[in-house]
Amino acid sequence: MMYILVKKNLDQKLSEWSAKYEVVAPQKVEAYSQFLPFTESSELALNEPHNTRYPPKSLFLPQSEVMLKYNKRLNKFDEIRILPEKRIIFGIRPCDASALTLLDTVFDTEEYQDPYWAGRRENTILVGLGCSEPPSTCFCTTVGYGPFNHDGLDAIMTELDDVFVIEALSAKGEKLFSDFPAATNEHELSVLRIQSNAKQGMNQAFETEGLKQTLDHLFESDYWSEIAESCLGCGVCTYLCPTCFCFDIVDEVQRNERVRNWDTCMFRIYSQEASGHNPRPTISERTRQRLMHKYSYWLDHIEKIGCTGCGRCVRYCPVGLDIRAMLRTASNFESEVVNVG
Amino acid sequence: MPELKTELRNNIEQLLNDQAVDVVIAFKKADLPLRPQPAFFRNVEELEDLEYNGLCQNNLANYLTRYPHDTKIGIVVRGCESRSVNALIVEKQHPRENLYMIGVPCQGILDIRKIINKTGEDITDYSEDGDQVSVIFKGNEIKLQRSDLLHDSCLRCVHPNPVNADVLLGDPLPEGDPTIVRQAIEEFEALDRDERYAWFQKEAERCIRCYACREACPMCYCTECFVDHTTPRWTESDISQAGTQAWHIIRAFHQAGRCTSCGACERACPMDIKMTYLTDKLNKDMLEVYQFEAGMDDNTPPPFASFNLDDKNRFVI
Ligand code: SF4
Ligand code: SF4
Ligand code: SF4
Ligand code: SF4
Repeated sequence: MMYILVKKNLDQKLSEWSAKYEVVAPQKVEAYSQFLPFTESSELALNEPHNTRYPPKSLFLPQSEVMLKYNKRLNKFDEIRILPEKRIIFGIRPCDASALTLLDTVFDTEEYQDPYWAGRRENTILVGLGCSEPPSTCFCTTVGYGPFNHDGLDAIMTELDDVFVIEALSAKGEKLFSDFPAATNEHELSVLRIQSNAKQGMNQAFETEGLKQTLDHLFESDYWSEIAESCLGCGVCTYLCPTCFCFDIVDEVQRNERVRNWDTCMFRIYSQEASGHNPRPTISERTRQRLMHKYSYWLDHIEKIGCTGCGRCVRYCPVGLDIRAMLRTASNFESEVVNVG
Repeated sequence: MPELKTELRNNIEQLLNDQAVDVVIAFKKADLPLRPQPAFFRNVEELEDLEYNGLCQNNLANYLTRYPHDTKIGIVVRGCESRSVNALIVEKQHPRENLYMIGVPCQGILDIRKIINKTGEDITDYSEDGDQVSVIFKGNEIKLQRSDLLHDSCLRCVHPNPVNADVLLGDPLPEGDPTIVRQAIEEFEALDRDERYAWFQKEAERCIRCYACREACPMCYCTECFVDHTTPRWTESDISQAGTQAWHIIRAFHQAGRCTSCGACERACPMDIKMTYLTDKLNKDMLEVYQFEAGMDDNTPPPFASFNLDDKNRFVI
């Protein structure tokens, strides 16, 4: 069933929801955008061609999260269980929502369940906004998703001139929108056209068929030092990536808290051992880890690529390194290796 | 600019052909028109990809410290980069005799975010000619003025000409006006304490501790940064107020008398955080108190890295 949300009623609707839910939506901060709680004075940033710069994974896996507080004198600790209030994330892009489904396979499995993650997932309704004009830095279709992909979403919106047309995709989504006016035939036709144009406008950024085998094959080669020569080894590509989930747990003893922080394989200390030995001594090995994790190890685990093509690492790398170009070189490099050999 | 690029190419080609250097650090074209990348040329064929324009946003001196001291390095340097190289030579990070500095007087680096702000994100082509910049956005050509797009650090640049370069390509430019940078700092200094703190808070607390600023800075070459120390830990490693503020303050202070105001840290920051106001303030103090500017020669140690046995102050020894 498709519904419409008239754009000029948007703020009012979000305010109404705010009475029952915490509503989070993309908003401008300086020149970038980030998901923040909606208030009357919020300036929404829904008109960017792509996702927010700071990824909404932080709404489920906060960059720094206090897990417990302890009291050394009384020899006791308080576990912090955050059971968030019911929440609507409004305007999340399909790449970021599908990334959450990938991360579910890490934080919410039969064997292990992270209560912080699972609690937040449970209490959140995800209202997606499809990408009508994906910029050239996005490549979701290459990795098996798309600008109107449904994975992880409870509803998806397609933007027309004055309305958002909403497709409910789950029971939660259906319930949220059931009293909204129904979309007309004309709306539905426009939606079909926009969705198919958006998808067709995106190019195949690199060949995924056989990519894993290629990378596995290149494990010991010079490929990594070649592609990573200008890499700074910073945290930009991994911190902004919606599928990167590594963390480090630190006791902030001065305030008696145990905190979980994002961490990244691109940092030297990530793999630094107490002995002083570092099994990933240079940026080449760290780059290998980043790429192999996404394009090989994820496939070993769940037969899916661990990248949803969101384009952030491409857009914000301070030295302009483009993961797509790196991967294209992989196949060339392999054929060179094979030809020479 | 095209002639300059040709000159640059000829120069590098000669260096490589003569085997005068093992590698030349410069920029190359990439698939994204706004994002030329640092590149490492070892043979002449690769020079097809050589790039030099206002979008080359990194400080190439950053890569010097990755090489063993006996590597003969050619490096393309603009004003600030040449001063960074000099400062690194002073700090014994590479011997002068194994460096060949190809100097280019710098018209200023453009701030990609200023361009995108004026056009939109998906720029498919870029060219520049004198003060004119032209980009293609959604199939349409948009003409912009270079001077409107300069990075803030470059607007305040005093020394656009390379210092101590082995060769200078292009004509030297007039020195910048030092009152501009001084004014910018004085505006900050004139704020009252609460206002200054509010400013600092607004910037520092958006920090996601990705350390791109550190990794992009030629002077941040410590194998182990203070924030990475675990025994003992010097700062909180999370994105708490205490953690981010400590990071921003200490990073800046470690740059006193070493920073060349290149702005590479700010350009690398994914969160658009301003931080050169701190280092520029320290640079101004270094100039006023010690008459010292980093990188103006390759033998004077920065005041905080030198000592004098006859020092009339006794607090250090
Ligand atoms: S690897 Fe890059 S494109 Fe893929 S999901 Fe992560 S940030 Fe997005
Ligand atoms: S953002 Fe770029 S420079 Fe930083 S670690 Fe990733 S690839 Fe390297
Ligand atoms: S602190 Fe920033 S402005 Fe100063 S030298 Fe380092 S990168 Fe350049
Ligand atoms: S680059 Fe920006 S966000 Fe990253 S550590 Fe530096 S100031 Fe913080």
